[in-house]
Amino acid sequence: MLAVAAGVVALVGDPRHQDRQAPAARAEVPPAPVVLAAAGSADPARPVRVTIPAIGVDSDLVDLGVDAGGALVPPTDFARAGWFAAGPVPGDVGPAVLAGHVDSYRGPAVFFRLDELRPGDRVTVERSDGRTVQFAVTRVARYAKDRFATDEVYGPTADPQLRLVTCGGAFDRSRRSYLDNVVVYARLAQ
Amino acid sequence: MARLTRGALLAVLCAGLAALGLSPAAAAPSDDTGLVRMMHLSPDTPSVDAYIDSVSDPDVGVVLPAVSYGDVSAYRSVPAGTYTVSARAAGADPQSPPVLASTVTVAAGTATTVAGVGRFAELGFAVLPDDLTPPPAGQTRVRVVNAAAGTPSLDLSLDGGTRLAGGLAFAKTTDYVDVPGGASTLTVGGGAQLPVQLADGSVYTLLVLDRDGGGLAVEPALDAASPGVVPVGGVETGAGGTAPAGAPVGRIALVVLTVAVLGLALTTRFRLPRRGRPARHAAR
Repeated sequence: MLAVAAGVVALVGDPRHQDRQAPAARAEVPPAPVVLAAAGSADPARPVRVTIPAIGVDSDLVDLGVDAGGALVPPTDFARAGWFAAGPVPGDVGPAVLAGHVDSYRGPAVFFRLDELRPGDRVTVERSDGRTVQFAVTRVARYAKDRFATDEVYGPTADPQLRLVTCGGAFDRSRRSYLDNVVVYARLAQ
Repeated sequence: MARLTRGALLAVLCAGLAALGLSPAAAAPSDDTGLVRMMHLSPDTPSVDAYIDSVSDPDVGVVLPAVSYGDVSAYRSVPAGTYTVSARAAGADPQSPPVLASTVTVAAGTATTVAGVGRFAELGFAVLPDDLTPPPAGQTRVRVVNAAAGTPSLDLSLDGGTRLAGGLAFAKTTDYVDVPGGASTLTVGGGAQLPVQLADGSVYTLLVLDRDGGGLAVEPALDAASPGVVPVGGVETGAGGTAPAGAPVGRIALVVLTVAVLGLALTTRFRLPRRGRPARHAAR
């Protein structure tokens, strides 16, 4: 096996050396025809409903975007969760983001119990293409809004993942804003 | 005594961290799994069954049956650790000696591509770490694998002359480069042009393959994806309807204020001069 591993190193080589052959390559023309292999067609699906049995969530989903300052705009309806529509669709590769209010002016809102979720809890998302996708919670985190873990929440993933975002921590009455965000990380259930 | 002090310090530290939003949950490590996928990039190697087996735990492993030239498997989630990756002819007895084997270490939170490369006679595994760091805004990240035995030296460039591969030898892989996302034109070798669509925030491996019946096929494999537009900061998802009457700090301030006011009221009661008379110690 050691010999095989050594062979791999020799085969893969050092990518920095690839440029050495560049001048010679100009004379070469690859055999025609050259085609693009069928890439997966753009999926026009969108998520339509999220259910989280462990905390009694069952909500249809509105599309969310960003405001002029670039911040994610939460749903206007406190009883409804929303999907960040410029990001991946839940079930497609990448971190799909759903956001919902923890409370309204009067009482609990759709994601009031989000911080009760524990690793292994299931989150189900129904899509407009009829697919139902099941996610399993991997962890629950809390970040101060001014130290929000942007790369961790929105950064690339190689598999389909889900983020559920709401508010947490102390409420600043002067700014009428919670100081923290609660983020639930989930990945496709196996 | 020292223990007590340390405990008190720890409590203060925890309180401080909580106040800063660094709750223990936030500091906890992500789940300890990584992702692995296989690519068959050897033109004259027949279909194989690929095995990914944990070195430390015989019960942990993945089998990818009947992987053929040009195939890219889905990523499979495995516990972080060291794995033996092996290939046997499709349908061969899993106990039979593999035609090729190597080891790969999968770290938590990473993604790794293991590609069977080269001609069958010199078949090897290339272990390609997949880049999961966010591309700059409006950019996409691309690398190229020359898996076309008939093209010993591959040139590939994108709109505007951005070179993705220059003189790339068969069975070799370039480093990733960041390029503008969106619709673009890929120029292959002498001048063949292909329209491609590379999404902002995504990461791709472009596989250049020998095509059945001659020529080349370029197959974009998606390594990872992220939103093309990344929101700034946190999200305002609460109106305060369930928040306690005041924040803890506010409540303490209220208590202090109340005591101060009461104390002031008590002292002033005894010091207040009667109306109409000058205070005893009033300045003249």
